[in-house]
Amino acid sequence: MNTALLSLSAPLLAALWLLLTHRRQAPVVIVASLISLVAAVFSLYQVIDAGEQSLALGGWESPLGIRLRLMPVSAMLLTFTALIHSLVGLYAWRSRHSQTRHTDYWPLSCLLHAALAALWLSHDIFNWYVTLELLGLVAVVMVCLAGPKAYGAALRYLLLSLAASLCYLLGVALLYGVYGVLDVSLLAEAARADPSTRTALMLMTVGLMLKAALWPLHLWLPAAHSSAPTAVSALLSALVVKGPLFILWLLWSRVAPEELGQAAGPWLALAGVGALLVGGWSALRAPLIKLMVAYSTVAQLGYALLALGLMLHWRELSLDAALWLFVLAHGLAKVSMFLAAGEMQSTLGSRRLDSLKGATQTMPVAMFAFAVAGGSLIGLPPSGGFLAKWLLLLPLLQNPAHWPWALGVMLGTLISAAYVFRVVAISFDRARPTSPDFNPDRFAQWLSLLPALLVWGMALISEQLILWLTGATL
Amino acid sequence: MSQTLFYLLVGAGLWLLGLHGLLCLRQPLRRIMAVNIMGSGVFMVMLALAVRPDSPDPVLQALIVTGLVVAASATALALRLASADRDRAQKTAEEGE
Repeated sequence: MNTALLSLSAPLLAALWLLLTHRRQAPVVIVASLISLVAAVFSLYQVIDAGEQSLALGGWESPLGIRLRLMPVSAMLLTFTALIHSLVGLYAWRSRHSQTRHTDYWPLSCLLHAALAALWLSHDIFNWYVTLELLGLVAVVMVCLAGPKAYGAALRYLLLSLAASLCYLLGVALLYGVYGVLDVSLLAEAARADPSTRTALMLMTVGLMLKAALWPLHLWLPAAHSSAPTAVSALLSALVVKGPLFILWLLWSRVAPEELGQAAGPWLALAGVGALLVGGWSALRAPLIKLMVAYSTVAQLGYALLALGLMLHWRELSLDAALWLFVLAHGLAKVSMFLAAGEMQSTLGSRRLDSLKGATQTMPVAMFAFAVAGGSLIGLPPSGGFLAKWLLLLPLLQNPAHWPWALGVMLGTLISAAYVFRVVAISFDRARPTSPDFNPDRFAQWLSLLPALLVWGMALISEQLILWLTGATL
Repeated sequence: MSQTLFYLLVGAGLWLLGLHGLLCLRQPLRRIMAVNIMGSGVFMVMLALAVRPDSPDPVLQALIVTGLVVAASATALALRLASADRDRAQKTAEEGE
Protein backbone atom coordinates (compact mmCIF):
# COMPACT_ATOMS: atom_id res chain seq x y z
CA MET A 1 0.00 0.00 0.00
CA ASN A 2 2.89 2.37 0.79
CA THR A 3 4.29 2.07 -2.70
CA ALA A 4 0.84 2.80 -4.16
CA LEU A 5 0.62 5.90 -1.99
CA LEU A 6 4.06 6.98 -3.20
CA SER A 7 2.85 6.51 -6.76
CA LEU A 8 -0.03 8.88 -5.95
CA SER A 9 1.93 11.46 -3.97
CA ALA A 10 4.98 11.84 -6.26
CA PRO A 11 3.01 13.64 -9.03
CA LEU A 12 0.91 15.52 -6.47
CA LEU A 13 4.00 16.92 -4.71
CA ALA A 14 5.62 17.77 -8.04
CA ALA A 15 2.48 19.67 -9.08
CA LEU A 16 2.33 21.61 -5.81
CA TRP A 17 6.01 22.46 -6.02
CA LEU A 18 5.72 23.70 -9.60
CA LEU A 19 2.63 25.75 -8.73
CA LEU A 20 4.20 27.30 -5.64
CA THR A 21 7.47 28.20 -7.35
CA HIS A 22 5.78 29.34 -10.60
CA ARG A 23 8.07 27.19 -12.68
CA ARG A 24 7.44 25.14 -15.77
CA GLN A 25 10.19 22.59 -15.44
CA ALA A 26 9.65 19.57 -17.59
CA PRO A 27 12.40 17.40 -16.03
CA VAL A 28 10.74 17.61 -12.58
CA VAL A 29 7.53 16.26 -14.05
CA ILE A 30 9.25 13.46 -15.92
CA VAL A 31 11.22 12.42 -12.84
CA ALA A 32 8.01 12.45 -10.79
CA SER A 33 6.28 10.26 -13.40
CA LEU A 34 9.20 7.85 -13.40
CA ILE A 35 9.23 7.63 -9.58
CA SER A 36 5.51 7.03 -9.72
CA LEU A 37 6.03 4.34 -12.36
CA VAL A 38 8.62 2.47 -10.30
CA ALA A 39 6.44 2.70 -7.19
CA ALA A 40 3.42 1.46 -9.13
CA VAL A 41 5.38 -1.53 -10.47
CA PHE A 42 6.40 -2.43 -6.91
CA SER A 43 2.79 -2.14 -5.75
CA LEU A 44 1.75 -4.42 -8.61
CA TYR A 45 4.28 -7.02 -7.45
CA GLN A 46 3.02 -6.69 -3.88
CA VAL A 47 -0.58 -7.22 -4.95
CA ILE A 48 0.36 -10.28 -6.99
CA ASP A 49 2.26 -11.69 -4.00
CA ALA A 50 0.07 -10.72 -1.08
CA GLY A 51 -3.36 -10.01 -2.53
CA GLU A 52 -5.60 -7.00 -1.98
CA GLN A 53 -4.65 -4.39 0.57
CA SER A 54 -6.63 -1.59 2.10
CA LEU A 55 -5.94 1.44 4.23
CA ALA A 56 -8.31 3.42 6.44
CA LEU A 57 -7.25 7.04 6.07
CA GLY A 58 -6.35 8.72 9.35
CA GLY A 59 -7.20 5.55 11.27
CA TRP A 60 -10.95 6.09 10.88
CA GLU A 61 -12.75 2.86 10.19
CA SER A 62 -15.15 2.16 7.37
CA PRO A 63 -18.60 3.64 7.99
CA LEU A 64 -17.25 7.06 8.92
CA GLY A 65 -13.78 7.23 7.38
CA ILE A 66 -12.54 6.92 3.82
CA ARG A 67 -10.92 3.70 2.80
CA LEU A 68 -8.34 3.34 0.04
CA ARG A 69 -8.07 -0.05 -1.53
CA LEU A 70 -5.39 -1.52 -3.75
CA MET A 71 -6.91 -4.20 -5.94
CA PRO A 72 -4.96 -6.00 -8.69
CA VAL A 73 -6.81 -3.99 -11.33
CA SER A 74 -6.08 -0.70 -9.59
CA ALA A 75 -2.38 -1.57 -9.29
CA MET A 76 -2.34 -2.39 -13.00
CA LEU A 77 -4.06 0.90 -13.83
CA LEU A 78 -1.64 2.84 -11.59
CA THR A 79 1.27 1.37 -13.53
CA PHE A 80 -0.43 2.04 -16.84
CA THR A 81 -1.20 5.67 -15.91
CA ALA A 82 2.38 6.34 -14.82
CA LEU A 83 3.75 4.71 -17.98
CA ILE A 84 1.54 6.79 -20.29
CA HIS A 85 2.35 9.95 -18.35
CA SER A 86 6.11 9.32 -18.63
CA LEU A 87 5.86 8.70 -22.38
CA VAL A 88 3.64 11.70 -23.10
CA GLY A 89 5.71 13.90 -20.78
CA LEU A 90 8.86 12.94 -22.68
CA TYR A 91 7.12 13.81 -25.95
CA ALA A 92 5.84 17.15 -24.67
CA TRP A 93 9.34 18.02 -23.49
CA ARG A 94 11.43 16.87 -26.45
CA SER A 95 9.23 17.45 -29.48
CA ARG A 96 9.69 20.76 -31.23
CA HIS A 97 6.09 20.62 -32.40
CA SER A 98 4.44 20.09 -29.04
CA GLN A 99 2.65 23.32 -28.30
CA THR A 100 2.90 22.54 -24.61
CA ARG A 101 6.59 23.00 -23.94
CA HIS A 102 6.43 26.38 -22.23
CA THR A 103 2.91 26.36 -20.88
CA ASP A 104 1.17 25.31 -17.71
CA TYR A 105 0.98 21.80 -19.13
CA TRP A 106 3.55 20.62 -16.57
CA PRO A 107 1.79 21.21 -13.24
CA LEU A 108 -1.55 20.32 -14.84
CA SER A 109 -0.38 16.97 -16.17
CA CYS A 110 0.92 16.13 -12.68
CA LEU A 111 -2.43 17.04 -11.15
CA LEU A 112 -4.18 14.88 -13.74
CA HIS A 113 -1.88 11.98 -12.86
CA ALA A 114 -2.58 12.41 -9.14
CA ALA A 115 -6.35 12.65 -9.70
CA LEU A 116 -6.32 9.44 -11.73
CA ALA A 117 -4.21 7.61 -9.15
CA ALA A 118 -6.64 8.72 -6.42
CA LEU A 119 -9.54 7.47 -8.51
CA TRP A 120 -7.98 4.02 -9.01
CA LEU A 121 -7.30 3.72 -5.27
CA SER A 122 -10.64 5.01 -3.95
CA HIS A 123 -13.22 2.53 -2.82
CA ASP A 124 -15.99 4.84 -1.76
CA ILE A 125 -18.78 6.21 -3.97
CA PHE A 126 -18.50 9.78 -2.70
CA ASN A 127 -14.71 9.84 -2.99
CA TRP A 128 -15.18 8.82 -6.60
CA TYR A 129 -17.35 11.90 -7.08
CA VAL A 130 -14.55 14.09 -5.75
CA THR A 131 -11.89 12.44 -7.93
CA LEU A 132 -14.21 12.66 -10.96
CA GLU A 133 -14.56 16.39 -10.40
CA LEU A 134 -10.80 16.81 -9.99
CA LEU A 135 -10.26 14.88 -13.20
CA GLY A 136 -12.91 16.87 -15.08
CA LEU A 137 -11.67 20.29 -13.97
CA VAL A 138 -8.02 19.52 -14.76
CA ALA A 139 -8.98 18.07 -18.13
CA VAL A 140 -10.96 21.20 -19.03
CA VAL A 141 -8.08 23.50 -18.14
CA MET A 142 -5.72 21.31 -20.17
CA VAL A 143 -7.98 21.63 -23.23
CA CYS A 144 -7.72 25.43 -22.78
CA LEU A 145 -3.93 25.21 -23.24
CA ALA A 146 -4.56 25.13 -26.98
CA GLY A 147 -5.40 28.84 -26.82
CA PRO A 148 -8.53 30.98 -27.26
CA LYS A 149 -9.83 28.84 -30.14
CA ALA A 150 -10.43 25.96 -27.74
CA TYR A 151 -12.36 27.98 -25.13
CA GLY A 152 -15.77 27.26 -26.62
CA ALA A 153 -15.18 23.50 -26.72
CA ALA A 154 -13.70 23.63 -23.20
CA LEU A 155 -16.73 25.46 -21.80
CA ARG A 156 -19.14 22.95 -23.32
CA TYR A 157 -16.99 20.12 -21.95
CA LEU A 158 -16.99 21.73 -18.49
CA LEU A 159 -20.76 22.26 -18.34
CA LEU A 160 -21.58 18.75 -19.53
CA SER A 161 -19.02 17.29 -17.16
CA LEU A 162 -20.57 19.23 -14.24
CA ALA A 163 -24.06 18.08 -15.18
CA ALA A 164 -22.80 14.50 -15.38
CA SER A 165 -21.22 14.79 -11.92
CA LEU A 166 -24.45 16.13 -10.46
CA CYS A 167 -26.35 13.24 -12.02
CA TYR A 168 -23.88 10.88 -10.37
CA LEU A 169 -24.06 12.80 -7.07
CA LEU A 170 -27.86 12.53 -6.96
CA GLY A 171 -27.45 8.76 -7.32
CA VAL A 172 -24.89 8.76 -4.49
CA ALA A 173 -27.30 10.72 -2.28
CA LEU A 174 -30.11 8.25 -2.95
CA LEU A 175 -27.89 5.24 -2.23
CA TYR A 176 -26.72 6.81 1.02
CA GLY A 177 -30.31 7.66 1.92
CA VAL A 178 -31.33 4.02 1.49
CA TYR A 179 -28.34 2.17 2.97
CA GLY A 180 -26.50 4.74 5.09
CA VAL A 181 -23.03 3.71 3.83
CA LEU A 182 -20.68 4.98 1.15
CA ASP A 183 -18.00 2.28 1.17
CA VAL A 184 -18.22 0.04 -1.88
CA SER A 185 -17.76 -3.28 -0.04
CA LEU A 186 -20.34 -2.41 2.63
CA LEU A 187 -22.73 -1.22 -0.04
CA ALA A 188 -22.26 -4.44 -1.99
CA GLU A 189 -23.30 -6.49 1.05
CA ALA A 190 -26.36 -4.35 1.74
CA ALA A 191 -27.66 -3.69 -1.77
CA ARG A 192 -31.13 -4.98 -2.62
CA ALA A 193 -32.98 -4.79 -5.92
CA ASP A 194 -35.60 -2.20 -4.94
CA PRO A 195 -36.89 0.78 -6.97
CA SER A 196 -34.75 3.41 -5.21
CA THR A 197 -31.55 1.40 -5.79
CA ARG A 198 -32.55 1.00 -9.42
CA THR A 199 -33.13 4.76 -9.80
CA ALA A 200 -29.84 5.56 -8.08
CA LEU A 201 -27.89 3.14 -10.27
CA MET A 202 -29.56 4.53 -13.37
CA LEU A 203 -28.67 8.12 -12.47
CA MET A 204 -25.08 7.16 -11.68
CA THR A 205 -24.79 5.19 -14.92
CA VAL A 206 -26.08 8.08 -17.04
CA GLY A 207 -23.63 10.46 -15.34
CA LEU A 208 -20.70 8.11 -15.82
CA MET A 209 -21.61 7.35 -19.43
CA LEU A 210 -21.67 11.06 -20.16
CA LYS A 211 -18.27 11.48 -18.51
CA ALA A 212 -16.77 8.51 -20.33
CA ALA A 213 -18.30 9.68 -23.63
CA LEU A 214 -20.08 6.39 -24.15
CA TRP A 215 -22.59 6.40 -27.00
CA PRO A 216 -25.19 8.05 -27.17
CA LEU A 217 -23.71 10.60 -24.73
CA HIS A 218 -20.43 11.07 -26.61
CA LEU A 219 -21.16 14.30 -28.48
CA TRP A 220 -18.80 16.51 -26.48
CA LEU A 221 -15.74 14.28 -26.92
CA PRO A 222 -14.63 14.82 -30.54
CA ALA A 223 -14.57 18.64 -30.26
CA ALA A 224 -12.80 18.66 -26.88
CA HIS A 225 -10.23 15.98 -27.72
CA SER A 226 -9.38 17.25 -31.18
CA SER A 227 -9.04 20.92 -30.21
CA ALA A 228 -6.59 20.20 -27.35
CA PRO A 229 -2.81 20.26 -27.88
CA THR A 230 -1.39 16.93 -29.07
CA ALA A 231 0.05 15.76 -25.75
CA VAL A 232 -3.20 16.63 -23.97
CA SER A 233 -5.34 14.82 -26.56
CA ALA A 234 -3.22 11.72 -26.00
CA LEU A 235 -3.71 11.86 -22.22
CA LEU A 236 -7.44 12.57 -22.50
CA SER A 237 -8.14 9.73 -24.91
CA ALA A 238 -5.83 7.18 -23.32
CA LEU A 239 -6.58 7.81 -19.65
CA VAL A 240 -9.25 10.33 -18.69
CA VAL A 241 -12.23 8.55 -20.26
CA LYS A 242 -11.12 5.32 -18.56
CA GLY A 243 -11.69 6.76 -15.07
CA PRO A 244 -15.51 6.83 -15.26
CA LEU A 245 -15.38 3.47 -17.03
CA PHE A 246 -13.55 1.98 -14.03
CA ILE A 247 -16.25 3.32 -11.68
CA LEU A 248 -19.00 2.03 -13.96
CA TRP A 249 -17.39 -1.41 -13.94
CA LEU A 250 -17.03 -1.55 -10.14
CA LEU A 251 -20.53 -0.20 -9.64
CA TRP A 252 -22.19 -2.82 -11.80
CA SER A 253 -19.96 -5.79 -11.09
CA ARG A 254 -19.60 -5.27 -7.32
CA VAL A 255 -22.38 -3.06 -5.98
CA ALA A 256 -25.41 -3.75 -8.15
CA PRO A 257 -27.53 -6.78 -7.17
CA GLU A 258 -27.25 -9.58 -9.72
CA GLU A 259 -30.78 -9.33 -11.13
CA LEU A 260 -30.42 -5.59 -11.79
CA GLY A 261 -27.12 -6.24 -13.56
CA GLN A 262 -28.68 -8.93 -15.66
CA ALA A 263 -31.50 -6.60 -16.70
CA ALA A 264 -29.19 -3.67 -17.49
CA GLY A 265 -26.57 -5.75 -19.32
CA PRO A 266 -28.25 -5.93 -22.74
CA TRP A 267 -28.88 -2.17 -22.74
CA LEU A 268 -25.25 -1.40 -21.97
CA ALA A 269 -24.16 -3.90 -24.62
CA LEU A 270 -26.53 -2.31 -27.15
CA ALA A 271 -25.06 1.10 -26.39
CA GLY A 272 -21.63 -0.49 -26.96
CA VAL A 273 -22.62 -1.75 -30.41
CA GLY A 274 -24.14 1.67 -31.15
CA ALA A 275 -20.85 3.32 -30.21
CA LEU A 276 -18.94 0.92 -32.49
CA LEU A 277 -21.13 1.69 -35.49
CA VAL A 278 -21.81 5.41 -35.00
CA GLY A 279 -18.30 6.29 -33.80
CA GLY A 280 -16.73 4.25 -36.57
CA TRP A 281 -18.93 5.83 -39.23
CA SER A 282 -18.13 9.34 -38.01
CA ALA A 283 -14.41 8.50 -37.94
CA LEU A 284 -14.70 7.26 -41.52
CA ARG A 285 -16.18 10.60 -42.61
CA ALA A 286 -14.10 12.97 -40.46
CA PRO A 287 -12.28 15.59 -42.56
CA LEU A 288 -9.55 16.38 -39.97
CA ILE A 289 -6.79 14.06 -38.78
CA LYS A 290 -7.28 14.55 -35.05
CA LEU A 291 -11.07 14.52 -35.32
CA MET A 292 -10.84 11.10 -36.92
CA VAL A 293 -8.65 9.82 -34.08
CA ALA A 294 -11.08 11.29 -31.53
CA TYR A 295 -14.09 9.59 -33.14
CA SER A 296 -12.17 6.35 -33.16
CA THR A 297 -11.96 6.71 -29.35
CA VAL A 298 -15.78 6.84 -29.24
CA ALA A 299 -15.91 3.67 -31.34
CA GLN A 300 -13.28 1.80 -29.34
CA LEU A 301 -14.98 2.57 -26.03
CA GLY A 302 -17.92 0.66 -27.51
CA TYR A 303 -15.95 -2.61 -27.22
CA ALA A 304 -15.35 -2.00 -23.53
CA LEU A 305 -19.01 -1.20 -22.93
CA LEU A 306 -20.08 -4.26 -24.93
CA ALA A 307 -17.79 -6.46 -22.83
CA LEU A 308 -19.21 -4.94 -19.63
CA GLY A 309 -22.83 -5.36 -20.72
CA LEU A 310 -22.43 -8.99 -21.82
CA MET A 311 -20.45 -9.82 -18.69
CA LEU A 312 -23.34 -8.52 -16.57
CA HIS A 313 -25.95 -10.31 -18.63
CA TRP A 314 -24.35 -13.75 -18.75
CA ARG A 315 -22.12 -13.54 -15.64
CA GLU A 316 -19.29 -14.56 -17.98
CA LEU A 317 -16.25 -13.48 -15.98
CA SER A 318 -13.70 -13.90 -18.76
CA LEU A 319 -15.28 -10.80 -20.34
CA ASP A 320 -13.91 -8.73 -17.46
CA ALA A 321 -10.42 -9.59 -18.64
CA ALA A 322 -11.47 -8.59 -22.17
CA LEU A 323 -12.64 -5.20 -20.89
CA TRP A 324 -9.35 -4.39 -19.19
CA LEU A 325 -7.29 -5.68 -22.10
CA PHE A 326 -9.27 -3.29 -24.32
CA VAL A 327 -8.49 -0.45 -21.96
CA LEU A 328 -4.75 -1.21 -22.01
CA ALA A 329 -4.53 -1.86 -25.74
CA HIS A 330 -6.63 1.15 -26.67
CA GLY A 331 -4.71 3.45 -24.33
CA LEU A 332 -1.31 2.54 -25.78
CA ALA A 333 -2.51 2.56 -29.38
CA LYS A 334 -4.28 5.89 -28.95
CA VAL A 335 -1.23 7.60 -27.45
CA SER A 336 0.77 6.45 -30.44
CA MET A 337 -1.90 7.58 -32.88
CA PHE A 338 -2.37 11.02 -31.37
CA LEU A 339 1.37 11.70 -31.11
CA ALA A 340 1.94 10.56 -34.69
CA ALA A 341 -1.06 12.56 -35.91
CA GLY A 342 0.14 15.66 -34.06
CA GLU A 343 3.63 15.35 -35.53
CA MET A 344 2.32 14.88 -39.07
CA GLN A 345 -0.16 17.70 -38.69
CA SER A 346 2.45 20.22 -37.63
CA THR A 347 5.17 19.02 -40.02
CA LEU A 348 2.86 18.93 -43.03
CA GLY A 349 1.24 22.19 -42.01
CA SER A 350 -2.41 21.24 -42.28
CA ARG A 351 -5.04 19.68 -40.04
CA ARG A 352 -6.87 18.09 -42.95
CA LEU A 353 -6.71 14.39 -43.68
CA ASP A 354 -6.01 14.87 -47.40
CA SER A 355 -2.78 16.68 -46.49
CA LEU A 356 -1.37 13.26 -45.54
CA LYS A 357 -0.82 12.51 -49.24
CA GLY A 358 2.55 10.88 -49.67
CA ALA A 359 3.20 10.75 -45.93
CA THR A 360 4.65 7.23 -46.28
CA GLN A 361 7.44 8.84 -48.26
CA THR A 362 7.87 12.14 -46.48
CA MET A 363 7.30 11.03 -42.87
CA PRO A 364 7.74 7.24 -42.89
CA VAL A 365 8.29 6.77 -39.16
CA ALA A 366 5.24 8.74 -37.98
CA MET A 367 3.05 7.14 -40.63
CA PHE A 368 4.34 3.70 -39.66
CA ALA A 369 3.49 4.43 -36.01
CA PHE A 370 0.00 5.53 -37.05
CA ALA A 371 -0.57 2.39 -39.11
CA VAL A 372 0.84 0.02 -36.47
CA ALA A 373 -1.36 1.58 -33.80
CA GLY A 374 -4.28 1.39 -36.21
CA GLY A 375 -3.57 -2.33 -36.64
CA SER A 376 -4.13 -2.82 -32.93
CA LEU A 377 -7.35 -0.78 -33.05
CA ILE A 378 -8.64 -3.01 -35.86
CA GLY A 379 -7.55 -6.04 -33.86
CA LEU A 380 -5.02 -7.59 -36.23
CA PRO A 381 -3.22 -10.51 -34.61
CA PRO A 382 -1.00 -10.63 -32.61
CA SER A 383 -1.57 -7.12 -31.23
CA GLY A 384 -3.07 -6.26 -27.85
CA GLY A 385 -6.28 -5.24 -29.58
CA PHE A 386 -6.51 -8.72 -31.07
CA LEU A 387 -6.11 -10.40 -27.66
CA ALA A 388 -8.94 -8.33 -26.23
CA LYS A 389 -11.20 -8.96 -29.19
CA TRP A 390 -10.44 -12.67 -29.10
CA LEU A 391 -11.45 -12.88 -25.43
CA LEU A 392 -14.63 -10.97 -26.25
CA LEU A 393 -15.48 -13.15 -29.25
CA LEU A 394 -14.81 -16.56 -27.65
CA PRO A 395 -18.01 -16.72 -25.58
CA LEU A 396 -19.94 -15.21 -28.48
CA LEU A 397 -18.78 -17.85 -30.94
CA GLN A 398 -19.24 -20.79 -28.58
CA ASN A 399 -23.00 -20.35 -28.44
CA PRO A 400 -24.83 -20.04 -31.80
CA ALA A 401 -27.63 -18.04 -30.15
CA HIS A 402 -25.22 -15.16 -29.56
CA TRP A 403 -24.67 -14.44 -33.24
CA PRO A 404 -26.18 -10.88 -33.23
CA TRP A 405 -23.51 -9.67 -30.79
CA ALA A 406 -20.76 -11.39 -32.77
CA LEU A 407 -22.12 -9.70 -35.90
CA GLY A 408 -21.95 -6.33 -34.10
CA VAL A 409 -18.28 -6.92 -33.20
CA MET A 410 -17.50 -7.96 -36.78
CA LEU A 411 -19.20 -4.89 -38.23
CA GLY A 412 -17.31 -2.69 -35.77
CA THR A 413 -14.06 -4.33 -36.84
CA LEU A 414 -14.91 -3.78 -40.48
CA ILE A 415 -15.56 -0.08 -39.93
CA SER A 416 -12.40 0.39 -37.88
CA ALA A 417 -10.42 -1.33 -40.64
CA ALA A 418 -12.07 1.04 -43.11
CA TYR A 419 -11.15 4.22 -41.25
CA VAL A 420 -7.57 3.13 -40.57
CA PHE A 421 -7.00 1.98 -44.15
CA ARG A 422 -8.54 5.18 -45.50
CA VAL A 423 -5.71 7.12 -43.85
CA VAL A 424 -3.10 4.58 -44.95
CA ALA A 425 -4.40 4.70 -48.53
CA ILE A 426 -4.20 8.49 -48.63
CA SER A 427 -0.65 8.37 -47.29
CA PHE A 428 0.40 5.97 -50.08
CA ASP A 429 -0.87 8.39 -52.71
CA ARG A 430 2.61 9.52 -53.69
CA ALA A 431 1.72 11.29 -56.95
CA ARG A 432 1.54 14.78 -55.47
CA PRO A 433 2.86 14.52 -51.90
CA THR A 434 2.35 17.39 -49.47
CA SER A 435 5.85 18.71 -48.97
CA PRO A 436 6.86 18.61 -45.32
CA ASP A 437 8.47 21.26 -43.20
CA PHE A 438 12.18 20.96 -44.14
CA ASN A 439 13.22 19.97 -40.64
CA PRO A 440 11.07 17.13 -39.28
CA ASP A 441 11.54 16.04 -35.68
CA ARG A 442 12.90 12.48 -35.87
CA PHE A 443 13.05 11.83 -32.14
CA ALA A 444 9.38 12.69 -31.62
CA GLN A 445 8.38 10.41 -34.47
CA TRP A 446 10.29 7.47 -33.02
CA LEU A 447 8.78 8.25 -29.64
CA SER A 448 5.30 8.02 -31.11
CA LEU A 449 6.19 4.58 -32.44
CA LEU A 450 7.15 3.26 -28.99
CA PRO A 451 3.65 2.78 -27.49
CA ALA A 452 2.48 1.13 -30.72
CA LEU A 453 5.32 -1.36 -30.44
CA LEU A 454 4.43 -1.93 -26.78
CA VAL A 455 0.86 -2.79 -27.69
CA TRP A 456 2.07 -5.35 -30.23
CA GLY A 457 4.56 -6.58 -27.64
CA MET A 458 1.63 -7.51 -25.41
CA ALA A 459 1.39 -10.60 -27.61
CA LEU A 460 4.63 -11.92 -26.12
CA ILE A 461 3.16 -12.15 -22.63
CA SER A 462 -0.40 -12.80 -23.80
CA GLU A 463 -0.96 -16.08 -21.96
CA GLN A 464 0.24 -14.82 -18.58
CA LEU A 465 -1.62 -11.55 -19.09
CA ILE A 466 -4.94 -13.23 -19.85
CA LEU A 467 -4.62 -15.76 -17.02
CA TRP A 468 -3.63 -13.07 -14.54
CA LEU A 469 -6.36 -10.68 -15.59
CA THR A 470 -9.00 -13.41 -15.43
CA GLY A 471 -7.89 -14.17 -11.90
CA ALA A 472 -7.42 -10.54 -10.93
CA THR A 473 -10.86 -9.30 -11.89
CA LEU A 474 -12.79 -12.02 -10.02
CA MET B 1 -42.21 12.73 7.29
CA SER B 2 -44.39 14.72 4.90
CA GLN B 3 -42.00 17.64 5.33
CA THR B 4 -39.06 15.44 4.29
CA LEU B 5 -41.03 14.28 1.28
CA PHE B 6 -41.80 17.89 0.37
CA TYR B 7 -38.12 18.84 0.40
CA LEU B 8 -37.20 15.71 -1.54
CA LEU B 9 -39.72 16.58 -4.24
CA VAL B 10 -38.64 20.22 -4.40
CA GLY B 11 -35.00 19.12 -4.64
CA ALA B 12 -35.78 16.69 -7.46
CA GLY B 13 -37.83 19.42 -9.18
CA LEU B 14 -34.93 21.90 -9.00
CA TRP B 15 -32.58 19.26 -10.39
CA LEU B 16 -34.89 18.61 -13.35
CA LEU B 17 -35.41 22.34 -13.91
CA GLY B 18 -31.64 22.88 -14.01
CA LEU B 19 -31.16 19.97 -16.41
CA HIS B 20 -33.87 21.34 -18.69
CA GLY B 21 -32.20 24.76 -18.63
CA LEU B 22 -28.79 23.29 -19.44
CA LEU B 23 -30.14 21.37 -22.40
CA CYS B 24 -32.39 24.09 -23.82
CA LEU B 25 -30.57 27.38 -23.18
CA ARG B 26 -27.79 28.69 -25.40
CA GLN B 27 -26.26 31.65 -23.51
CA PRO B 28 -23.23 30.52 -21.48
CA LEU B 29 -24.21 32.51 -18.35
CA ARG B 30 -27.68 30.99 -18.24
CA ARG B 31 -26.27 27.51 -18.72
CA ILE B 32 -23.83 28.05 -15.85
CA MET B 33 -26.74 29.16 -13.67
CA ALA B 34 -28.71 26.09 -14.77
CA VAL B 35 -25.90 23.82 -13.59
CA ASN B 36 -25.90 25.65 -10.26
CA ILE B 37 -29.63 25.11 -9.90
CA MET B 38 -29.09 21.41 -10.56
CA GLY B 39 -26.49 21.42 -7.81
CA SER B 40 -28.86 23.15 -5.37
CA GLY B 41 -31.44 20.47 -6.14
CA VAL B 42 -28.98 17.69 -5.26
CA PHE B 43 -27.97 19.45 -2.03
CA MET B 44 -31.61 19.88 -1.07
CA VAL B 45 -32.25 16.16 -1.60
CA MET B 46 -29.22 15.43 0.58
CA LEU B 47 -30.48 17.80 3.32
CA ALA B 48 -33.90 16.15 3.25
CA LEU B 49 -32.30 12.71 3.54
CA ALA B 50 -30.16 13.87 6.48
CA VAL B 51 -33.20 14.37 8.72
CA ARG B 52 -33.04 12.14 11.81
CA PRO B 53 -35.33 12.16 14.88
CA ASP B 54 -32.70 13.60 17.26
CA SER B 55 -29.89 15.32 15.30
CA PRO B 56 -29.24 15.46 11.52
CA ASP B 57 -26.84 12.98 9.91
CA PRO B 58 -23.33 14.51 10.02
CA VAL B 59 -22.00 12.47 7.08
CA LEU B 60 -24.49 13.97 4.62
CA GLN B 61 -23.74 17.46 5.93
CA ALA B 62 -20.03 16.84 5.32
CA LEU B 63 -20.85 15.64 1.82
CA ILE B 64 -22.84 18.81 1.13
CA VAL B 65 -19.98 21.03 2.31
CA THR B 66 -17.56 19.15 0.03
CA GLY B 67 -20.04 19.42 -2.83
CA LEU B 68 -20.42 23.15 -2.28
CA VAL B 69 -16.65 23.67 -2.45
CA VAL B 70 -16.50 21.74 -5.71
CA ALA B 71 -19.51 23.61 -7.13
CA ALA B 72 -18.11 27.03 -6.20
CA SER B 73 -14.70 26.40 -7.77
CA ALA B 74 -16.18 24.82 -10.89
CA THR B 75 -18.53 27.81 -11.30
CA ALA B 76 -15.59 30.21 -10.99
CA LEU B 77 -13.73 28.35 -13.72
CA ALA B 78 -16.83 28.24 -15.93
CA LEU B 79 -17.44 32.01 -15.53
CA ARG B 80 -13.82 32.80 -16.40
CA LEU B 81 -13.97 30.56 -19.44
CA ALA B 82 -17.27 32.05 -20.59
CA SER B 83 -15.96 35.62 -20.35
CA ALA B 84 -12.71 34.69 -22.12
CA ASP B 85 -14.69 33.02 -24.89
CA ARG B 86 -16.93 36.09 -25.25
CA ASP B 87 -13.86 38.37 -25.50
CA ARG B 88 -12.47 36.13 -28.22
CA ALA B 89 -15.76 36.17 -30.13
CA GLN B 90 -15.89 39.99 -29.96
CA LYS B 91 -12.29 40.25 -31.13
CA THR B 92 -12.87 38.01 -34.14
CA ALA B 93 -16.05 39.96 -34.97
CA GLU B 94 -14.11 43.26 -34.89
CA GLU B 95 -11.34 41.82 -37.04
CA GLY B 96 -13.97 40.55 -39.45
CA GLU B 97 -15.35 44.06 -39.89
